[in-house]
Amino acid sequence: MTDQSSGQKKMKLHGLLGEFKDIESILKASAAIRDKGFKKWDTYTPFPVHGIEKAMGIKKSLVPKIVFTCGLIGGIGGLGLQWWTNAVNYPWIVSGKPLFSVPANIPIVFETTVLLAAFGAVFGMIFLNKLPQLYSPLFTSKNFSQGATNDKFFVYIEAQDPKFSPDRTRELLESLNAVTVEEIEEEEHAWSPSLSPKMAWSIGSIVFCLILIPPLYIARAQAKDRTTTRVQLIPDMDQQPRVNAQAASTIFVDGRGMRNYVDGTVPRGGAQTNTGYYTGAENEEWVSNPLPVNRALLERGQNRFDIYCAACHGIDGSGNGPIAIRAKRLREPNWVPPLAMTDSTVLERPDGHLFNTITNGIRNMPAYGDQIHVEDRWAIVAYIRALQKSQHATLQDVPADKREQLREEGQK
Amino acid sequence: MAKRLENDTIDLGSTGASFLKMGAIVGAIGLAIALFGSFTTEMKLERFFLSYLVNFAFFLSLSIGALFFILTQHIGRAGWSVVVRRVSEGFAANVGLMLVLFIGVFLGMGQLYSWTNPEAFANDPILQGKQPYLNTQFFLIRILVYFGVWILLTQYFLRGSAKQDSTKDPKKTERMQMVSAPGIPLTAITVTFASFDLLMSRDPHWFSTIFGVYYFAGSFLGYFSLMAVFFCFLQSKGMLKETVTPDHYHDIGKYMFGFTVFWAYIAFSQFMLIWYGNIPEETVWYIRRFEGGWLNASYFLLIGHFIIPFFILLFREIKRIPAALAAVGVWILAMHWFDLYWIVMPESIKGHVGISWIDIACFIGMGGLYLAGFAFFMGRKSLIPEGDPRLEESLEFKNA
Repeated sequence: MTDQSSGQKKMKLHGLLGEFKDIESILKASAAIRDKGFKKWDTYTPFPVHGIEKAMGIKKSLVPKIVFTCGLIGGIGGLGLQWWTNAVNYPWIVSGKPLFSVPANIPIVFETTVLLAAFGAVFGMIFLNKLPQLYSPLFTSKNFSQGATNDKFFVYIEAQDPKFSPDRTRELLESLNAVTVEEIEEEEHAWSPSLSPKMAWSIGSIVFCLILIPPLYIARAQAKDRTTTRVQLIPDMDQQPRVNAQAASTIFVDGRGMRNYVDGTVPRGGAQTNTGYYTGAENEEWVSNPLPVNRALLERGQNRFDIYCAACHGIDGSGNGPIAIRAKRLREPNWVPPLAMTDSTVLERPDGHLFNTITNGIRNMPAYGDQIHVEDRWAIVAYIRALQKSQHATLQDVPADKREQLREEGQK
Repeated sequence: MAKRLENDTIDLGSTGASFLKMGAIVGAIGLAIALFGSFTTEMKLERFFLSYLVNFAFFLSLSIGALFFILTQHIGRAGWSVVVRRVSEGFAANVGLMLVLFIGVFLGMGQLYSWTNPEAFANDPILQGKQPYLNTQFFLIRILVYFGVWILLTQYFLRGSAKQDSTKDPKKTERMQMVSAPGIPLTAITVTFASFDLLMSRDPHWFSTIFGVYYFAGSFLGYFSLMAVFFCFLQSKGMLKETVTPDHYHDIGKYMFGFTVFWAYIAFSQFMLIWYGNIPEETVWYIRRFEGGWLNASYFLLIGHFIIPFFILLFREIKRIPAALAAVGVWILAMHWFDLYWIVMPESIKGHVGISWIDIACFIGMGGLYLAGFAFFMGRKSLIPEGDPRLEESLEFKNA
């Protein structure tokens, strides 16, 4: 900036540009410059010239090795990704194939191999060509910028080359039949020809702030409590068109969104051919509990009873649940008090009848068939029997080896 | 340019005559040994015909690969390949010989194709549905149509190019380019159906629509390998020494590399869809190839036909050394032959691979006849198309 403000640009020599008139002379000149041991130099031709690599002594490109390495990484990475995601981290069976199933993985391995190999080829080429190069002092030469892509052949030797000397290199180019030899200059002390340090800093900090936006946005979304999806990348999947239960719909002629089963179809598990099990009655006779009564069934029955029945019938089945007590206190006119499980009505009713009452309801008691699974309803029936036994047990119901103990406790 | 041609031997000369004589003798002896040797096996004559079909499919595929090569080079107006095109025209014209050799397949149809037996259709509704297509008369008509198309095309290119040697008429090249445009789909369709008829109908129940592409992939790859081997052989006999350069081998090697991958791509495409679908009517063909010794043969095919040549042909230098490329070519040709063996045999030889000396005798015999046929069709023609307007470009061709 100081240079510019003072109005004086201090220039220094950047290199020497030699112009040649045809392929033959530039090939010859390149070979001579190569043999002199120059390192920092290049040729510029309007079209690819066969043999120029050899004449310039350019070594075999590194690109194939980069491509091979990238392809290998892509292939192994693609296979590893599928192995990790599908077989280890989140085992997921697809089409009945093994979790780690190589034939199914090959197409993706192929794609990732090709993808990374192609990246290696493109970016490797760009990198090795030192691209992107936004500025070159060569473009200050009018002859170069108009001729290099048109009909002129150039050799450029940089001043930084250890073999470079302004006079002898000029002599060399001239001795190789260069049509013209031009001095290319650049600004001295320029940190970068087109960017001042101050500008670079301000641009850099703006870019840095912009880069921070996505991670900050994600961090904010992570920290906030929300019930909806935080970021909707594909809104279709979050907000799908659907019909709510009981809602009307214009799709069907009868205007109802909910549909009955198609005539003649039965949903899975809906055949219910075992009428005794599903209704509690078979051939107009109540059935007894079809499930084997064991500790697990009774515990399940207790659990369901406490959830669904105890609110009215009471935890102990005495008919003193919190709702019954409250209704009594409020003297609800239409309230029919719930029966105690030990009531003789309940006591005498067969298992199937109790099951039917739970399923379809009775008097004030609503139907629970839609809420309690069939098996659980039978479990509740079994538990009711246990509750009844707890109030109406005789000594005969006590296991023989425990009777003595019970008698002793009673005498105390 | 002219100087390089003058300093070079560009005709088969005495080699052609010895090809004719030795090829015919070796061919007769080899096929006779295979024929009579087959009686020592349990399968008797069927063993000979199976071996014959494998080798017939193998040498036919080389000629078809050569025909595809000519067609693609013409339609792409390729400059580099002019010096290697005449030999390709000779190998392609060998389909004429293959038509003669088809007599062997015709005689063995009863043993080779179960659908030739009327009883096969009796209690088989699937085969009954295929009967309008799978019957001997229609089969023979189709075979004649395929060979008709191939012979017309190959003779057109061989004679047209030979005529151009003396007339030097550049318009001929344009006409051949015009013909190659319809020639490609014609050849593609006939090769597809020929592979269905000759190879896929070995199991008349099984079907795979990609099968034709699979056979084509092997054919094209096989012919490039044959090119590498054959030009290396010609140069070792002092022919085309100045004309065919490492740069031409390099391009042939690139094709070999590309079509090694293409073959694997197609072979895997066929396998994976069937494996994934897991439908019995499709998997039956692969299950036969995964039973007993055939499982190892299938793995060997994967490794030998794809993985080994793939990594070897990655190296630039191997493609530029004729002897090295020819060695890879021999290997790929062997694998291509084994691929066809793997396609033909498991329907008849179950549970074990069972390659025998009959197969080798049959291969040598038919190979001898194939070389004799090549010499016959080449005659006194030059080994390079001297009148091609792009000959100079081909001679000066350099790989960057």
